[in-house]
Amino acid sequence: MACTATAPSFQKPNSVTVKGFKISTQKLPILKADPIEGMTKALGIAPPEMIFGDNFVAIEHEQSRWGLAFNAFDALDRVDKTGTSMLKVAYSREWQKSREKTHEGIKEIVKPFDWSYTTDYTGTVKPGSRPFVATTKPIPIELLKRPDPILFYDDVILYEDELADNGITMLSCKIRVMPSRLLLLARFFMRLDNVLFRLRDTRIYVDFDEMEIIREYQSRESEYEAVRQTLATTRDDVPAVMRDPNRLSEILPLVEKRLERVTLKE
Amino acid sequence: MSDLDRAIAQLRACRLIPEAQVRELCYKARELLIEEGNVVNVDAPVTICGDIHGQFHDLMELFRVGGDVPDTNYLFMGDFVDRGFYSLESFLLLLCLKVRYPDRITLIRGNHESRQITTVYGFYDECIRKYGSANVWRYCCEVFDYLALGALVLGASSELEPSGPVDTTQSSMPIDDALEIEILNSKGEVTMNSYRSRPQSSSASTDTRAISPPRDISTTPNQAPIRPGAAGTGASGDSGGSLSSRTGAVLCVHGGLSPVIDTVDKIRLIDRKQEVPHEGAMCDLLWSDPDEIDGWGLSPRGAGFLFGGDIVKRFNYRNDLSLVARAHQLVMEGYKEMFDGGIVTVWSAPNYCYRCGNVAAILELGEDTSNGGTVARSNGDYGRSNGLLGPNRPAVRSPGRRYRVFEAAAQDTRGMPAKKPVADYFLVRISIDTYRRRTY
Repeated sequence: MACTATAPSFQKPNSVTVKGFKISTQKLPILKADPIEGMTKALGIAPPEMIFGDNFVAIEHEQSRWGLAFNAFDALDRVDKTGTSMLKVAYSREWQKSREKTHEGIKEIVKPFDWSYTTDYTGTVKPGSRPFVATTKPIPIELLKRPDPILFYDDVILYEDELADNGITMLSCKIRVMPSRLLLLARFFMRLDNVLFRLRDTRIYVDFDEMEIIREYQSRESEYEAVRQTLATTRDDVPAVMRDPNRLSEILPLVEKRLERVTLKE
Repeated sequence: MSDLDRAIAQLRACRLIPEAQVRELCYKARELLIEEGNVVNVDAPVTICGDIHGQFHDLMELFRVGGDVPDTNYLFMGDFVDRGFYSLESFLLLLCLKVRYPDRITLIRGNHESRQITTVYGFYDECIRKYGSANVWRYCCEVFDYLALGALVLGASSELEPSGPVDTTQSSMPIDDALEIEILNSKGEVTMNSYRSRPQSSSASTDTRAISPPRDISTTPNQAPIRPGAAGTGASGDSGGSLSSRTGAVLCVHGGLSPVIDTVDKIRLIDRKQEVPHEGAMCDLLWSDPDEIDGWGLSPRGAGFLFGGDIVKRFNYRNDLSLVARAHQLVMEGYKEMFDGGIVTVWSAPNYCYRCGNVAAILELGEDTSNGGTVARSNGDYGRSNGLLGPNRPAVRSPGRRYRVFEAAAQDTRGMPAKKPVADYFLVRISIDTYRRRTY
């Protein structure tokens, strides 16, 4: 019984081409019931409550047949579907203890999986693209600090879930394109209230002239209480910082870092 | 114009009322709500609404589409606050309307009407920002503790009066069939409908009631009780009207069912005047979710129940309900029926969090006028018995459901600039000061 109404102000695919690199983004409303059902079947897990399944960010270099894209489905396909790394909400023990006597019959956890939707997704490489290889060459931050004109900017959300009001989990992509380079940040952010913070950042740097792409992946994580204590010694508005992944990325300890690059020059 | 009417006018314009007036309003609201049971009885016709989440301009759109209070009788299933930018304006307006027209608007509690949740998800911060202290937040939280946990809609009609022609080509519906579901867009145009066959009057229709007020829950004179009385009340006696179109009651709760609640009467026994606890029946009613499972299940999150279609079916049968209406979960289409129409999720926050692009819906249940005493039944079999009534109750019919689907209020009515993406540098490894300066 789908209705035909659509929400206002959503854009068609948006794109820009700079020096042979085509950058495109698409932002549409969250999926309707039928596509969600299809996605649930294909993934084997229930997608997050706010699933922007039609959204994407894509970078392509047609001449080299190289491409890298970010979309919700592929990111969710990397979520643990077995439940082996399953988290529990803060009051879980209290909740379950209170149930022990009354409902011994109800013990089965329905469809266990990592409901925090934690993903180490670093993008979907177009089939046939020249692969990334490990490198030590970092993303040139100084070049990115220069106030070059921004030809194209977008902020595209791929999925979000409120963890049944136990925090937030979110995967989004930001991209800015300048005359000779671009920077993309795909960020997974998760706050499980009173339990845990997680940040998984994938940065894509493209130098159009050098035809070189650097991909940096960082994983940061910390227990909730540790972050709260760190912030307690500052003059910051603690709840506000705990909602702000930018601020948290300075506080959360680095767990893993990877650097890869690919050059499209012959 | 009374102070209350002035406050309503002011809040409708999205302007806050002074703190002293909020305190007085909350006091009056508490006096009113304390008189309500945990499960409020509401007579059809009624318009049932789901989560609002501080989306004030969309609440105004809801009233535009569904009609104003007191012309329309409303039932809001909680989650008035948090997430959106105007939780205060939204909740205080609803509360003013409740105090002004107590019989025309029912508010039940959502899981966000809690101290703990509002400190995390925005309402507390909004109170501090707009009033400069936590006083108003405290007054509101005290009201939250008095909100009912559920509502029981009685006297809903099993069929709808058609709103108008369907603009699709599927117009081959037999005239004898009853309109069961109708979906309208925000302009009031029918976008979809569905019929069910009306039982033939000679075979299935029965009405053994004497003429009496339709919602009297006591035993009807001259007649032995043949089935439990008004659904969910635990009373005996026939109150459901003609059995041919007998519609069970509709239970409205924010979240869902609980394994410790097998009858509606058990909800009435809860001591509700407290912060929403982390466990127990009260918690479940505000937090649990239906799912495509058998029986009960534990949420993978480690807290919270999931319940399947068999649970809903059993609960509805046992309590003489035809439908459970709940909110709590975002549904893209604004409403979602599950388990053969045994439960429906209604979601009333369009473009949720100002970015989801979903539509919202409200659910209208019509009044069953077929047993209104002076209204003659159209099939003329009034008072006849078909002799089929035995110890087995006839199955209840689901009420006719009219869903009005609506979109988010236009940006220019919001009194705030459309949110434009700000091109920032998202270079977080440089110092925050540099980062802030470079953001433009």
